Amino acid sequence: MKTKNILVSLLLLVGFTAWGQQVPKGDVLFKGGTVLTVTNGTLENTDVLVRDGKIARIGKGLRAPNGVETIDITGKYLMPGIIDAHSHIAGSAINEGTSQVTSEVSMEDVVDPYDVSIYRALAGGVTSIHLMHGSANVIGGQNETMKLRWGLTDPDQLRFEGAPRTIKFALGENPTRGGRARGIQPQSRMGVENMLRTSFQQAVEYKKKWEAYRADKNPRKVAPEYDLRLQTLVDILNGDVLVHCHSYRADEIYMLLKVFSDFGIPKITFQHANEAYKVAPELAAFGASASVFADWWAYKLEVYYSTAYNAAILTENGVLTSINSDSGELIRHLFHEAAKTQKYGDLSDDEALALITLNPAKQLGIDNRVGSIEVGKDADIAIFEGHPLSVYAIPQMTFVDGVKYFDKANDKADQRIYVDPESSIEKITIFDREDQHRCMEGANFINFEDLFSNQK
Amino acid sequence: MKSLRKLCLHAVLLLSMSVIALSSRAQSDPTGESAVTRTYALTNATVITKPGTELKETTVVIKDGLIVRVGKNVPIPAEAQVIDASKLYVYAAFIDGMSNTGAKRPENPERPQNLFTPDPPNEYAGITPENSVIAQLDVTNSSIGSLREAGFAISHAVPYGRMLPGSTALILLNDAEHPDEIILKKDVALFAQWIGAPGAYPGNILGMMAKWRNLYRNAEQDKKHFELYAENPAGLPRPENDRVSQAFFPVIAKQKPVMFNVDGVLDARRAMRLQKDLGFPLMVAGVEQAWELTNEIKSSNTPLFLSLDVPDEPKDAKEDDKSAEMKALEARRMEFYKIHVSQAAKLSEAGIPFGFSVGNVRANAVLKNVRTYIENGLSEDAALAALTTNPASIFGISNIAGTVEQGKLANLLVSTAPIFSKDAQVKLMFVDGDKFEYETKESKGNGRNTNNNAATSNDPLAGSWSYTLETPQGDQGGKMVISRENGAYSGYLTSDDGSPDNTMNNISYRNNELAFDFTIDAGGQSVEIVVVGTINGKTYDATATVSFGGQDFSMNLTATKDEQ
Repeated sequence: MKTKNILVSLLLLVGFTAWGQQVPKGDVLFKGGTVLTVTNGTLENTDVLVRDGKIARIGKGLRAPNGVETIDITGKYLMPGIIDAHSHIAGSAINEGTSQVTSEVSMEDVVDPYDVSIYRALAGGVTSIHLMHGSANVIGGQNETMKLRWGLTDPDQLRFEGAPRTIKFALGENPTRGGRARGIQPQSRMGVENMLRTSFQQAVEYKKKWEAYRADKNPRKVAPEYDLRLQTLVDILNGDVLVHCHSYRADEIYMLLKVFSDFGIPKITFQHANEAYKVAPELAAFGASASVFADWWAYKLEVYYSTAYNAAILTENGVLTSINSDSGELIRHLFHEAAKTQKYGDLSDDEALALITLNPAKQLGIDNRVGSIEVGKDADIAIFEGHPLSVYAIPQMTFVDGVKYFDKANDKADQRIYVDPESSIEKITIFDREDQHRCMEGANFINFEDLFSNQK
Repeated sequence: MKSLRKLCLHAVLLLSMSVIALSSRAQSDPTGESAVTRTYALTNATVITKPGTELKETTVVIKDGLIVRVGKNVPIPAEAQVIDASKLYVYAAFIDGMSNTGAKRPENPERPQNLFTPDPPNEYAGITPENSVIAQLDVTNSSIGSLREAGFAISHAVPYGRMLPGSTALILLNDAEHPDEIILKKDVALFAQWIGAPGAYPGNILGMMAKWRNLYRNAEQDKKHFELYAENPAGLPRPENDRVSQAFFPVIAKQKPVMFNVDGVLDARRAMRLQKDLGFPLMVAGVEQAWELTNEIKSSNTPLFLSLDVPDEPKDAKEDDKSAEMKALEARRMEFYKIHVSQAAKLSEAGIPFGFSVGNVRANAVLKNVRTYIENGLSEDAALAALTTNPASIFGISNIAGTVEQGKLANLLVSTAPIFSKDAQVKLMFVDGDKFEYETKESKGNGRNTNNNAATSNDPLAGSWSYTLETPQGDQGGKMVISRENGAYSGYLTSDDGSPDNTMNNISYRNNELAFDFTIDAGGQSVEIVVVGTINGKTYDATATVSFGGQDFSMNLTATKDEQ
């Protein structure tokens, strides 16, 4: 009965908002929490008023206007919703890996609002993700910046409306492995650079062709062939599309800086960038930014020369840096990942929190809307029990546009919004561990199997 | 003497008439299979002329492929074959919104040597919008007869292929010697689906969306170029006769819609997204999750064909001591089953004039699945409309098909009971005025077949069979157990490796051909396997086919009947 009610209300919600492209906006007053603004320090015992999805007031002793719900967050922490600058959840497809330049494809075409990973990310305080194309090709597809409005099923309603266009590039082992597998270029790091330069040169020619066509006053002019692939590269050259490049090694990072200088492309974010610390001053001088793992490395050859101090070194060198997940699991505890920079690099609370809020917002070009607790910004907010940089932190509630999409106190076991009626229900059986670990044999504890099995 | 002369006259008349009838059909008929007359009178029938209108004790006269009279006390032409239909029900025959009926699946294009995966030949990429299903039509294809037996006279036949297989056609489901005889309307729509090229561009939905945009924008430019050139070629570069680009011209001119074969809701949304971006007229077919799209479909007036592929009703586990979690999971699965099977009712309530598409559903499951939608809220009138008047209107053939009215094509379904009732059987079909007759089984409880066991022991199918399925992972064996009750077969497959039994669905047996399907669970995904083969005494030789991503994979299945 209960699940039915939820379903009905969910359907009502969907039905209500589906066609108008209007997304729900909330009003709420958070009362008496510790507010981690990121841009304006920590405000103790402070209230935050949200009206129509925006942060309307921050202060003490605020009163809820008529009809606005008050949520007492005394003893809890309020922070800007976490932003993951590198994610592959909620996509029906990730790579169009058949070609090494696919700038024409876009993740906005393949958003999957039914992916339960969205809810799991919300349960980790995440409110926005950068759904990226994969790294199988040198110039991959365009990415999609999203807000995690779980329960809405029109993919357009999960878009971060007004966010700039971004695109995925990839260097190193992944694109060359694809090239070698298909017997096409590029098969080496040299080939990657060559493919980038050739592609941009083609785009320059394409741009000239179309400019000449547009300038032609002849009413009987014939248009040159349209090429969405090259047109997207022209948009990059024009600075209309932000490039996010999968990379690891310092030499290839430096290579791309030179390519971008040569073609006059002003902005670049290096994704992963495990060796970015080696070229931190060069990145800072270029104005390039980096989005890194806290401490993931050694999963392939090009990722061996890494350090957990990467994010701190980059930050100290003035490189705009964020920490991302690239994973449906890690996305649930990005706050822990940020906290690691305090152990490895002594970053301040604000610096560490900025790695997962304001800085990724800047890298995605959405920092005018999200990334900090400021009046006028979107009410994308995470509420924590315990300081989010503490190992004891537990996300309690997550709001997007002032609407609550996660509440630990009301967390149903089955959050799926679509169930295939022909799916079989998996019986979870966990293998008998006792034959491996016998040191507690016979002791009468609740065992692992009882905890996680759905069979009696 | 007088009476004898009269008789002679009759005989001569009859003879000459049948000669006329014959000659109007075919030059000669060495087989002797042609009908004696093409004039029929179905007398005293219950006629459902269109959804919601039922006439009792009414006579329908058919002549030369057309319905010439519908009414009481209508004159019956002397040459008519009179069929007493006083216990029968006459409907306009059904119209299928989309399937490969009548088409022969061509060989998959071979992977070219040294394939440059970023830019494969159009043929390999599945970009052949210049083709037509007409080239694939095969009049001997058994799909025509089996869909006709399910009550259909017209099918919107779509070509086999990948992303852009070609143009569609409306075909009449009757016997013919040449495909041209059964084509009712060609170039009905440009057919599209989300099937990428294997290991080449566009490989998946990402590439296909982009490819569509690129093809379409260039076709728009090419069309302008052609028009300029036609106006006055002087001083203009000669436009290239790009067959792919040109196939889009009537679509760009909005003279021809694109029919997108979609399954799930996201597939449908992606087709609708392209439509919004590019502006072509769109139809969606094969839709399996329509309940979330009602607003969009309604406001955009997109013609929709709901899939007749209804999910199997989930079966809860039979254990007595089920955990609460298991029960909750089963309840949610059932909840979504209910949403699936009540979506037709929801579309109808929203005032959407949808049709049904047969797709890959086996013909003998079609009526059963329509009944499932009816049991879950769809009115019988709305179901009939979805099978007759709505598709006729969507395809622009309302003036010739979809109702039992004077002047329309003689496409009729004649059943033993109201067609959506459980006992109803198709007794006669008229397609384009040609009559097809089917054996009907006696209804239940009439005293016959009381001794089921006796019937079983003589039955060619009933009993236990040992089967072997040759899979790429090796042979799999087990028992195929078939029983017969009240004239209907049911059965299940056991597995020697201890996997759960699989129910045999949609068992059909005629002319020694046994066909059925069953569903297996492959890592949480249910996969349907269709088995078709021939019974020869105590052996069964069959092909088991799995469809996956637009491709078929076939395995051999053989069985021998166990000694009783």
